[in-house]
Amino acid sequence: MKYFFKTALIFILLISGLTGFSQAKKPTIMVVPSDLWCNKNGYMLEYDNLGTPVKVPDYKRALQENADLLLAVSKINELMTDRGFPLKNLESSLRMLQNQSAEDAMFTSKSGAQINENPIDLLKKVTRADIWMQLTWTVNRNGPKRSITYVLQGLDAYTNKQIAGSSGTGQPSFSAELPVLLEEAVVAHLDNFNAQLQSHFDDLFENGREVALRIKVWDSFDGDLESEHDGMELSEIIEYWVDDNTVKGRFNLSIATENMMFFEQVRIPLYNERDRAMDARAWARELRKMLRSEYQIESKLMMQGLGQAQLVIGEK
Amino acid sequence: MKKLILLPTLMLALISVSIDATSKKKKDKVGQGWRYEIESVGVGVPGTYLLKVWSYSANPEVAIEHAKKNAVHGVLFKGILGKPGIPSQRPLISNPNLENEKNDFFKSFFSDNGKYMKFVTLSTDGSVAAQDRLKVDREYKIGLVVSVNVRALRKDLEAAGVIKSLSSGF
Repeated sequence: MKYFFKTALIFILLISGLTGFSQAKKPTIMVVPSDLWCNKNGYMLEYDNLGTPVKVPDYKRALQENADLLLAVSKINELMTDRGFPLKNLESSLRMLQNQSAEDAMFTSKSGAQINENPIDLLKKVTRADIWMQLTWTVNRNGPKRSITYVLQGLDAYTNKQIAGSSGTGQPSFSAELPVLLEEAVVAHLDNFNAQLQSHFDDLFENGREVALRIKVWDSFDGDLESEHDGMELSEIIEYWVDDNTVKGRFNLSIATENMMFFEQVRIPLYNERDRAMDARAWARELRKMLRSEYQIESKLMMQGLGQAQLVIGEK
Repeated sequence: MKKLILLPTLMLALISVSIDATSKKKKDKVGQGWRYEIESVGVGVPGTYLLKVWSYSANPEVAIEHAKKNAVHGVLFKGILGKPGIPSQRPLISNPNLENEKNDFFKSFFSDNGKYMKFVTLSTDGSVAAQDRLKVDREYKIGLVVSVNVRALRKDLEAAGVIKSLSSGF
């Protein structure tokens, strides 16, 4: 009897494990107001970047002060949850970042050691998503009539491509209030947006995930991407590896110098040979391993979400 | 002798009437070949589409009954034409051949009193406005406003494995 239960348990674990592996990594999606909307409504932060004034959207203040934005974001989140695709919430993400920073600042070990953070870690402490749903609306007035022009764009955070979109101007109304018009616009346009998003996911399952890979060189590295190894330049070795390890050899090498290479529109398989879900980092890790085992070249791998990896050659 | 000629003539007439009636009925039932026009009327409550469907039939009652079936078919395969202020909607099923590929499913789905009835309601209790009842040649073109519960329809088709959900595969 005991043996039977043991066998059954092992079988169940094996099956659940296998089904677990067959799931691709789910992209995170977040709704944010567009830069245009933030600028028009005065929700921008200005800072000095080496003498050049730079404006960035102030999402936190926009969410705290604009009830219409909160309504639109929450309505989109609600409808997407209904479609079985809950979104990452901007407000909660911002709050979590703030709490995390406060906690990290206070954190000490028993011996008094503090959390180690380098400038890159600090720079990467921003809200992240794999797909941004960028929302813009403007109110049009024609005498007593009001209507809304609504634009929703789905942007891939790594390829910068617009993968889905929906826009239009609603019917003018004498009496409807702005929140009602806005809600109506969200409801009317979201199905079209999702239809395009579905096509994007279908393409991803058919042709692989589209990622970007950046190769750089530490100044401590003895050589560069043009140095020869076994009769081939290092850049050639990398390019051939990418060619061999992409779906149908699809990639575009857009920048190649002696110090850097930039691969974009790189289609990587969703699963590796062990049927485990892959992202840009897991894929680029294989390149790092190959350089170390075959050419004794060390490198440091850094990631940015599911779709962008950076390999710096020379040391870790 | 007269009787002898009259009897076969009467029988022939009866047969031809019955054949004509059957073929007409058939034409009204399935043979209409999904002949309809569909357009958006307004933004309904979340998860529903408010549509106007123009259906054709020699019998206005049949055209009214077909309106429901046509509306669901339009939402699934044709998509909905928009108008100023109301966006067009893409069909729920992006593969136009799916109707043939899953013929058994859709045959039962669109059968009389089939499952499609669960997702559609006539918004005016079936009453047709005078301007929406048109006589075109020998048949009627009837326009009816219907409401389709797209949310429930999508969920049902996802559960049946006919269409994929947005999160399938992840």
